[in-house]
Amino acid sequence: MAATASDQSLLEIVAAVRQDVEQADLDSEAAAEAFRIRFLGQRSGLITALFKRIPTLPRGDRRAAGIALNGLHKTAQERLKAARAALSSGRTAARQHVDLTLPGRRQREAGSIHPLTHALRGITDIFERIGFSIAEGPEIEDDWHNFTALNFAVDHPARDMQDTLFLQASEDGAGGVMLRTHTSPVQIRSMLAGRPPFRLIAPGRVYRNETITYKSYCLFHQVEGLVVDEGITMADLKHVLYTFVRAFFGDDVKVRFRPSFFPFTEPSAELDVWWDLPSGGRWMEILGSGMVHPNVLEAVGIDSERYTGYAFGMGVERPAMLHYGIEDIRILYENDIRFLSQF
Amino acid sequence: MKLSCHWLSEYVDHRLDASALSHTLTMCGLEVEEEDVLRAAADGIQVGHVLHVARHPNADRLTVCQVDLGQKDPLQIICGAPNVAAGQNVAVATIGATLLLPGRSKPLKIKRAKMRGEVSMGMICAEDELGLSDDHSGIMVLDADAKVGEPFGTYLERRGISVQDTVLDIVITPNRPDATCHIGVARDISARCDVPLHPPVVVIPEAGGEASRQIKVSIACPDKCRRYVAMVVRGVSMGDSPLWLRRRLEAIGLRPINNVVDITNFVMHECGQPLHAFDYDKVADRTIVVRESRAQETITTLDGKSRTLPPGTVLICDGQRSVAIGGIMGGENSEVSRATTSVLIESAYFDPTATRRAARALGLSTDASYRFERGVDAEGQAWAAARAAVLMEALTGGTVVEGMVDAHPNPVVMPSLTLRHARIPKILGIDIAHGEVERILKALGFAPSTAGPDAWQCAVPPHRPDVTCEIDLIEEVARIHGFDKISLPKVAKLPGMAPRQRPEEILRRAVYGLLGGRGFREVYTNSLLSRAEAEQFCDPVLAARGSVVETLNAVSQSMTTLRPSLVPGILQVMGHNQNHGQDTLRFYEFGHVFHKVSKAVSYVPGFSEYDALILAISGPIGPLEWAEKVRTGDFFDLKGDVETLLESLRVPGIRVEPFDSPTSLTEYHAVIYSESVEIGRMARLSDAVGRAYDIKSPIYFAEFNWTRLVLYARSHVARRYQPISRFPAVTRDISLLVDRTVTAGEMLSSIRAAGSRLLQEVTIFDLYAGDGVDRGKQSIAFSLRFGAQRTLRDREVDAAIHKIVHALHEQHGAQLRGPGA
Repeated sequence: MAATASDQSLLEIVAAVRQDVEQADLDSEAAAEAFRIRFLGQRSGLITALFKRIPTLPRGDRRAAGIALNGLHKTAQERLKAARAALSSGRTAARQHVDLTLPGRRQREAGSIHPLTHALRGITDIFERIGFSIAEGPEIEDDWHNFTALNFAVDHPARDMQDTLFLQASEDGAGGVMLRTHTSPVQIRSMLAGRPPFRLIAPGRVYRNETITYKSYCLFHQVEGLVVDEGITMADLKHVLYTFVRAFFGDDVKVRFRPSFFPFTEPSAELDVWWDLPSGGRWMEILGSGMVHPNVLEAVGIDSERYTGYAFGMGVERPAMLHYGIEDIRILYENDIRFLSQF
Repeated sequence: MKLSCHWLSEYVDHRLDASALSHTLTMCGLEVEEEDVLRAAADGIQVGHVLHVARHPNADRLTVCQVDLGQKDPLQIICGAPNVAAGQNVAVATIGATLLLPGRSKPLKIKRAKMRGEVSMGMICAEDELGLSDDHSGIMVLDADAKVGEPFGTYLERRGISVQDTVLDIVITPNRPDATCHIGVARDISARCDVPLHPPVVVIPEAGGEASRQIKVSIACPDKCRRYVAMVVRGVSMGDSPLWLRRRLEAIGLRPINNVVDITNFVMHECGQPLHAFDYDKVADRTIVVRESRAQETITTLDGKSRTLPPGTVLICDGQRSVAIGGIMGGENSEVSRATTSVLIESAYFDPTATRRAARALGLSTDASYRFERGVDAEGQAWAAARAAVLMEALTGGTVVEGMVDAHPNPVVMPSLTLRHARIPKILGIDIAHGEVERILKALGFAPSTAGPDAWQCAVPPHRPDVTCEIDLIEEVARIHGFDKISLPKVAKLPGMAPRQRPEEILRRAVYGLLGGRGFREVYTNSLLSRAEAEQFCDPVLAARGSVVETLNAVSQSMTTLRPSLVPGILQVMGHNQNHGQDTLRFYEFGHVFHKVSKAVSYVPGFSEYDALILAISGPIGPLEWAEKVRTGDFFDLKGDVETLLESLRVPGIRVEPFDSPTSLTEYHAVIYSESVEIGRMARLSDAVGRAYDIKSPIYFAEFNWTRLVLYARSHVARRYQPISRFPAVTRDISLLVDRTVTAGEMLSSIRAAGSRLLQEVTIFDLYAGDGVDRGKQSIAFSLRFGAQRTLRDREVDAAIHKIVHALHEQHGAQLRGPGA
């Protein structure tokens, strides 16, 4: 049915008036009275006037117009009633006295997580996302797990690379107990406790017998990684490490993967990232890695012809310090609230 | 180790500039840590011939020289050096040249000058002014055959002296004994760049001859000294080395000493074989005996220090006394001096392990011991001795005594290894062509020969004692071929195993979130304490067992002992922060704690180690607020944190039980249980202990055995849903009067026991003692909630309440208050 020009305009008017009704400010007695007279007044009220137009409409349109007007009338009455109720109870007046700029009730200051936890979790989260599981081991270790099983010969100069804090003296590489110098013994403990495949990440605290200075501390944190399975190659290692550094440092990171030496991996490699500095920048060593040495696999009873694997390890302090711009390592262990509250 | 690029190019024509060379070495496994450019002055400097020298009319110390520079007229130059003389060839800085003089930051520009009335048209230079050495004793006198007027740079180049050199400082990993010399590094460059290696050609004399009559060598410890080669050079004239040799040594950071010593150092840095030069005439009985030292033997080494040798040290002796520590340092009594005329060259192979142990025991590390420890070329001794002898003949005017002594009782046998071509992609993930593998092996000296289909038999060369198995060969091939050529797989492999997150990890993350929200700050403290501090906190009150774990070789007295508890670390943090103006102290830490125990408890027998978690508070519980009064935190604030934490970790059956016996560490404390298992302790620290850490407010802490707690906590993963009741619960409150000696804990247990299954929850909502309550009594109010999987009848609830009130009366003498009492 085609609508006529006259009812079209009445419905439009209703819509426009409804908007006015709904938006009117009713924050005082005077405003409420003005609203009543304007819309609902017996003589000159807008809605009253509109009702009077219904009989002028074509017969078939009167019903729709009536419904619309009745709805509007009800809305206006309800608004007026609600406003008068609010005004009489004084709620609106109280609202005007709330100082919303006062600070909230906090009860506790916000706590904080240590930056090293942020860095450790930042690293392990990335590896967990690509299918690694977390493993752990003790900080007190014996010769066999810390050195021998990792292919450190008794008198090899490689044992000089680390200054070990001993708890029990070692004779010819046996019987010694020490604070672990790296997280690599977790590789050994994990492999002894299960069967391949292995795909794990081991965060933890390690110790070096060093004087405390702005750049060295007697302990620090490492994250170790190990993957052993059939068909694992150095290309897989490189792939995982590149994936990691891109996730950690950003997609545009400049990376260098170069040969190095660790007794427990062969071939061994180190990964450097380019760090821009005002003076031009330099390569920063981020992690050591390599293919698990066959001697290590054999030491834990894994057939090194059938299985291959890779391992990697990285310090946590250095990337954390680079990331946050911290220059003195000691501040990490001082735990000043003014420092902690920044993380 | 420092390398001179110019020196390297003597053995390999690499045609790389310094930065490309540096990159090449790094990518071969010889990481370049630093590059340093050395530059001699050359621009505007020419070879001149001094025609005439006359005393300066107005200055005693100056001379007026007429110098021919190959132009029509000679130049007049004023010179202050004492050694200038007519007939010399000299280096002249002409007008416009600039010199970087030692000790001056700005370059000096040579200008036409008048010196005390006489015109000077340039400057005759000393070596230091030319940037060639530190020598400023006089002008540099050039060789007689120098071409007058020739640029000085050309003069230097023709004598093998670089005008510009770059020094690379490389890191030598323990598996590269071959790379401790220029030829060794050049071998890598030759293999990597596929250009020939040309080491100097040396004619090695036959063993025996006249030399064997002039010196006798016997080796009493052939397992520690496998070979001893000796040669004699007579008629040497001791003096400074020629400029090229001094430049070589200075470039790599060695101080030139005299021509004989410089030659031994030069040959060591050329081929890696350490040499020692004895003054032949000081070697008694013309005899060398190599033996192990006996107890308490001493020797004065050539640095002037008297050293007591550990027994079993390799000692080089002549017919009467010891003259050197084998492989480490020569003795003062036999060293060469200005008066020396005959030299005995020692070129030996000392066992790596023996050298390493002796050097460590003596606390003495030298360039020689560094190389012997790593393992020198097992067959390089004769070559190195001959090379040094030839150089001594050429540079000291001496004569090599024909022949050599070659005592070689215990030759090193180098292994022969098989390399399977198919194994290479299994390790590296890329194929390397057959020809390329073979080329690399040849270039590195492994002499590959075909051994069956697709395999090689490789003879390990004597300069690579580190290569002992197939994987070593694969690494050699890989590093020369290039790690950069290992391409990333397009598709990553995922092993056939599900990644698992340990419950511990899930719980730990929950702790970070929860404690952060409750205003705790995480700290990391040192696990090493002083012994006194560790012992103070190694107390059964803190659940410590056994005794403290001490280190044997700590660097500092303040860090000798492992922490038995996280408490002292937290106290240090609190003290530090209170001293820096912080009042609200709320900290937590995760960390291992350690105890020495009699039996095996954890991984290493005799040591116990577990992960602990500590929460500690002191001072106001929160920040200043406009709407609340600031309150100092107390035991119940911390207990609330503990209960919330344990509940959110779903630790079942949490109980905190007071521990009655008094202690010196705490004012009062309690044990925290999950069911019947102890998982932690909480306490108010003794105020006296707190004061010792400079903390003025009372300290409360809770320390958990996190390793054990994790075993009992049930994260959401392990939970099963319990249907919630659709029937309304009924809440009733009761208020009782009871003796103050009765504890809330006792009453709660009684209520729970009496309330049976209908009682779902009981809460204390009021506790009061004082006005209106009899002395010695307290008023306590409980809110009890009852419920079941059906609608409860009032009768049932009344009966339950009656039972509870009855139990409280019977067991604790409690009287119901108020209506109904």
